[in-house]
Amino acid sequence: MTAFQIIIIAILGIVAIFAVVGAFRRSIGRPAAVTILIVSIAGILAAVDPDRTTRVARTLGINRGTDLIVYLVTLVVFQGFVVFYLRLRKVRRELTLLVRHVAILEASSRTDRDRDPDDAPEAKARDS
Amino acid sequence: MPTPAQERNRDVKPELDPAVADETWIVIPVFNEATAIRDVIGSITPWFKNVVAVDDGSSDRTWEVLRDCAPHPLRHFVNRGQGAALQTGTDFALAHGARRIAHFDADGQHRVEDLKTLVAGVAAGECDIALGDRFAGDVSEIPKTRWLLLRAAVIFHRMMSGVRLNDVHNGLRVFSRDAAASIEITADRMAHASEIIDLIGRSGGRVREYPVTIRYSEYSREKGQRWTGSFRILFHYLVGRIAG
Repeated sequence: MTAFQIIIIAILGIVAIFAVVGAFRRSIGRPAAVTILIVSIAGILAAVDPDRTTRVARTLGINRGTDLIVYLVTLVVFQGFVVFYLRLRKVRRELTLLVRHVAILEASSRTDRDRDPDDAPEAKARDS
Repeated sequence: MPTPAQERNRDVKPELDPAVADETWIVIPVFNEATAIRDVIGSITPWFKNVVAVDDGSSDRTWEVLRDCAPHPLRHFVNRGQGAALQTGTDFALAHGARRIAHFDADGQHRVEDLKTLVAGVAAGECDIALGDRFAGDVSEIPKTRWLLLRAAVIFHRMMSGVRLNDVHNGLRVFSRDAAASIEITADRMAHASEIIDLIGRSGGRVREYPVTIRYSEYSREKGQRWTGSFRILFHYLVGRIAG
């Protein structure tokens, strides 16, 4: 076994342990933990026996194991991009709702102050 | 002391019923318009007392100017885009009893005469939603690239939402109270113009387009969208349709 294989197996092993621990502590969702675990185990198997990826690739009609890995990584990265973008969209939407809410609250409190200056928070603080 | 815009507007005949004008709230989304916004608001206030100007997180002196001249200044503490600013102003106006709500651009490209025509149309019950149509007015000033893009947008919207309009990206709009309440803009940035057309199509309200003239000044051209921005708008619009 080469030094590179040992390093890869160690890293993926640690990632797999984090996924399992995270799932038990509920800091990672179960679907995400299962996905990370499957990808880590597949990576470890491929690192232990590189020819295995070629055999799997040929059963799928792809010539080289490297090509199979490139296709899979492309799919995973794209899926990750879509998930990240949709989450960012949701956070932006929530930020917009917050900003709009604050703008209306501030404007309403200004209108109230203009209508009755004695009701203004500054006036109440001064009077007390 | 009247502003130059107010001086100009003294020549315009006040054909709009003052009661109708008082029940109509004008919403202006404002972003970095410190130099132009005073004149724009000054041109509206002789006719409409309820002007809601929403500063969308400007980095220049816009907020100071708005506090000085806008009847109802509102402020987004961070920039959230024109769609968000329009929805903020609309919500504020509805909460204060507006019977009609108008959208008006901050860069001076819209004319108050056209605004009054649209408001009068909705008030008279000709429609629930009145939209400006620059192609039915004087088209000589429209830059060629802008003209091409806008025509392409019309065809695109006919295919996507089935809404048959002549000018889908005109920022001059007037809604009845019910129509405004039935529309909630969720697209923050410039994709809101496309989203509004979809929402109008789904709202079931009666829509009518009125000829308007857009003033393409050096300033408004500079502030306007670049043609390359249309790809970004298209992307956000399509994602919004797919992801909801």
